[in-house]
Amino acid sequence: MPRKSSGVSRRELLAAGGVMLAGSVVAKSTSRLMGPSRGKRIVVVGGGYGGVTAAKYVKKENPEAEVVLIEKNQLFVSCPLSNHYLVGLIEYGQLCFPYNKLHTKYGVKVINDVVVDIDLPKRRVYLSEGYIEYDYLILSLGIEYDTEEFPFYEETTWFFPGAFRPGSEHLYLKRLLEEFEGENVVITVPKMPYRCPPAPYERAALILSYIRENGLKAHMYFIDANEYPPVLRDGFMKAYEDFYRGMATYITGAKIKDIDVGSKKIKTDKGDVRFDFGSIIPPMRAPKLLERIGLIYGKEKWVRVDPMTFETKVRNVFVIGDSCESYLPKSGYAANSQAKVVAKIVASRMKGREFGGELIQHGVCYAMVNLRSAIMLEVEYKYNVRTKEIKKILREDNTWKVSTAKRYYEWARGLWRDMFF
Amino acid sequence: MDRRGFIKTCTAVAAASLASPSFFISSLRAQEVEFKAYKKAILLKKDGTPLKPEEIDPEKQYLFFYPHRATPCILANLGKEIPPAEVKLSDGTTYRWPGGVGPKKSIVAYCAICPHQLSYPTPEFSFINYYPENIPSKIVKRGGVIQCCAHLSVFDPAKGGEVIDGPAPFPLTAIILKQEGDKLYAVGTLGKELYEDFFDVFKPDLRKLYKSSRKAKKLVDKCEVVEVEEYAKEVIRC
Repeated sequence: MPRKSSGVSRRELLAAGGVMLAGSVVAKSTSRLMGPSRGKRIVVVGGGYGGVTAAKYVKKENPEAEVVLIEKNQLFVSCPLSNHYLVGLIEYGQLCFPYNKLHTKYGVKVINDVVVDIDLPKRRVYLSEGYIEYDYLILSLGIEYDTEEFPFYEETTWFFPGAFRPGSEHLYLKRLLEEFEGENVVITVPKMPYRCPPAPYERAALILSYIRENGLKAHMYFIDANEYPPVLRDGFMKAYEDFYRGMATYITGAKIKDIDVGSKKIKTDKGDVRFDFGSIIPPMRAPKLLERIGLIYGKEKWVRVDPMTFETKVRNVFVIGDSCESYLPKSGYAANSQAKVVAKIVASRMKGREFGGELIQHGVCYAMVNLRSAIMLEVEYKYNVRTKEIKKILREDNTWKVSTAKRYYEWARGLWRDMFF
Repeated sequence: MDRRGFIKTCTAVAAASLASPSFFISSLRAQEVEFKAYKKAILLKKDGTPLKPEEIDPEKQYLFFYPHRATPCILANLGKEIPPAEVKLSDGTTYRWPGGVGPKKSIVAYCAICPHQLSYPTPEFSFINYYPENIPSKIVKRGGVIQCCAHLSVFDPAKGGEVIDGPAPFPLTAIILKQEGDKLYAVGTLGKELYEDFFDVFKPDLRKLYKSSRKAKKLVDKCEVVEVEEYAKEVIRC
């Protein structure tokens, strides 16, 4: 006798759960949480690399500013260096930082709450318990996984996390890796743009190193929607030749049609792949809140900003970090640099003048190619506000070195010092 | 609004208002860019005898700690006369740096804490280094620079520590040297100092090295000069 079925598939159950979660979002409260703004209130939404830096540096540039940082999580967890954590090169605790020093040392008001809406004409940010008025708004909301076109990514995130959002996905992915006993491992890469372009290639290299170090018999299928690594191409390709020949199959320019986590099968236009363990990195987009408040045009996925000042079409509203269309690759370091640009502009405007000096956007990315060595790149845009002149620098060091890996750690430690001390 | 929800939202706001805003304003005001005198400290060799200017090799980089016991400085002989310079800041203002000292006016010193994100030479690693002419930087393709390899800030030691390239927001703090006879002394600093942040950020590391913050902050009246390669296990260049 056949088993009685509930009639609800795993996918439907997950989808229903999603609807219930969405339905539980609190309604907009009309109570004012802080007094009226008096020309010097900056509200920063998002406590990641961009938001934390913006809050701190606006206060440093103009100590009279009233800076409010709104962040839903109680603890900052870094995505940069999280691949190191996955393979045991660092502890999870090294990625975590509290927000308290922003308040005690710099006088930033840190509010641990969720932003449910933003009214741009009225200059209000709505939290779960009421609203806060602002004079300047800096939005640094990071990314969301874009599951609209391919809903199967909602399911894969539960089972084989992409781990491109900080926190529990990394914890779970590490556990899966530690439980993995061999056979097929898969990593998928979405089409550019996505957060931290070298990260999937670094993850592949580190997992392959981990597989070798642990004596596992496994083969990696690396399914890339792009034709080649979008950054550090020569360095990554040489590393695969030098270290991982025969351990991995690189499937390039592949379109994923479906992923079934039950049968562990990925259907692509270049053939099907069966896997035992993996990290399925979904396509990404700017958070939908930015679309709801009118900062994203039509079916675009990212916020268009002035690429040198990060101001949106709404004066005194800035979008920085991964959510915006920027010349720099989407990364924590870029967001940190963009935040300093915006801090200068905002601090100047608060003093009644437009910033007239040089605005520097600087991006430095490192990537491990095995457990000991790394490659790196630097991008810089120097913008002279008066002359409108833009100078660009792009340098790649594709020769893997142990010393570059040591610089990588110092790079991250420096960023964290800059944000949290 | 339930009680817990109210507390969650309002605690941070209330806590923030407990501290007087004037406290934050005073602690954050930009430091004046001016000469700051510290204890006059003689530069010594490892054997305790005074370091003579002609003993500073233009092809090497040296380290000493001044004005505090834990604050590192790079000492270099640039091999040519270094005249005084106007040091430019990103806001367009300038200050005057007095140039090199020694018989050829070629010896300079700078605080070795990177103004970008505070990398400094430790007994393990030195990411911020002087690149003599014989060891050119791969970033700017020349020697005669001080460079931090963590985020690629490059400084000009012949121009008062001015930023040549990279993300540093302001120049290196210059250490003002004086020559008296054939002895060299450090007498103070010129430029924006980072010591307050340095002692705050690296408190745990400095406690390990110096036993306490008080000992790390102690002002010195003599400085032992060593080659950076002797102090740090690994000098990382790029």
